[in-house]
Amino acid sequence: MAQMQVLVVSATRELYRGDASAVFARSPEGEIGILPGHQPALLALEISSVRVQETDGDIITWAVHAGFLEYRDDQLTVLADVAERPEEIDVSRAEAALDRARQHLEDPNYEGNARAELRRAEIRLRLAGA
Amino acid sequence: MPGTAELRALRRRIRTVQNTQKITSAMELIAASRIARARQAVERARPFAEGITQVIRDLSTAADLSEHPLLVSRDPVKTVGVVVITSDRGLAGAYNSNALRRAERLIRALRSEGREIALYQIGRKGDSYFRYRDESFAATWFGVTDKPTYDDAVDIGERIVADYSGERIDEVHLVYTDFRSSLAQVPTAVRLLPIEPRQISGGQAYPPQFVFEPNPDEILERLLPRYVEHRIFAGLLESAASEHASRQRAMKAASDNAEEIVDDLTREANRARQAAITTEINEIVGGSEALAEG
Repeated sequence: MAQMQVLVVSATRELYRGDASAVFARSPEGEIGILPGHQPALLALEISSVRVQETDGDIITWAVHAGFLEYRDDQLTVLADVAERPEEIDVSRAEAALDRARQHLEDPNYEGNARAELRRAEIRLRLAGA
Repeated sequence: MPGTAELRALRRRIRTVQNTQKITSAMELIAASRIARARQAVERARPFAEGITQVIRDLSTAADLSEHPLLVSRDPVKTVGVVVITSDRGLAGAYNSNALRRAERLIRALRSEGREIALYQIGRKGDSYFRYRDESFAATWFGVTDKPTYDDAVDIGERIVADYSGERIDEVHLVYTDFRSSLAQVPTAVRLLPIEPRQISGGQAYPPQFVFEPNPDEILERLLPRYVEHRIFAGLLESAASEHASRQRAMKAASDNAEEIVDDLTREANRARQAAITTEINEIVGGSEALAEG
């Protein structure tokens, strides 16, 4: 069976390295599936999930915050700012972060980026299915 | 009895120094274990840095770079953003004063060229240093430097890119401490923005059948802020490793010094004890002789 090498890297560590038979992701222009032998491509990824189908049929999913996917020469690389397995997401922590971000939005003196905090918390919660 | 009061005072001092030593050697051990973890974090962040740099390099052959606001040098440069990373806590030897001295040198050089300075301070130590010198801050972040997360770097990066894009600042420099080895940590200043072209040149052109979604310019638009964030993240990680290494060295020196003080005090205490015994024997002998004569 045709396969390709897949590497998933987040800003803080390497998450996955292995062989896969398909990878599914979402670019700004829609859902995309990549099979071995696909045309070489560079995609920006939406805040969404990336699914890797391993050669034995198992599917591994990551929540990706902002990232890129490059495919060439049967080598597929996903670079993501933040990538988490849904089961790794701490729901109560994300909920607390959401509340905090909402407060920050109200606070005119807050120096951080409240909107980005809100967005990140929302994504985490959505992907954790909470 | 002469000598006993002195002896008691000495013993108390020995105990105090020993307690201090317990604390400093505990801090030394903690710092040592954190260095290893901080080093790992630096290593683990590397594949992403290499990946993103490679993509930007390759992409820059396909996209038009000369126009991108994060890449174009401004003329004239009026205000320069200086991002300074120090620690929140002290007891880290010369770590903070070295980083601050490097920052001060950069600021002086920029001011002598007639630039305005906007300070972005990460870590409390730099905050109190600059506050004491009547500097004002564009932004400050605390509680980040001990164990930096990528979210922290994103917060900082977004703020800096926003200020840069909004033309509140025309150039950005980062002062962090580069971890060379556990014995050498070097305070370093680098330019964050505009991104220096040589950092992203030398890429290979994409073969013609390559598909881009969205188009290369737009992908680059999304990538470049990530690149800035990642450089800040790398600076934070290097600084954290340096902070722990400095603290370990400082605490080791403190523990060794305490050991020496305990040795000296013990010797002194023994001498005082000996003197007390000698006095006591003298008195007994003197007393019994007086009795025998009587």
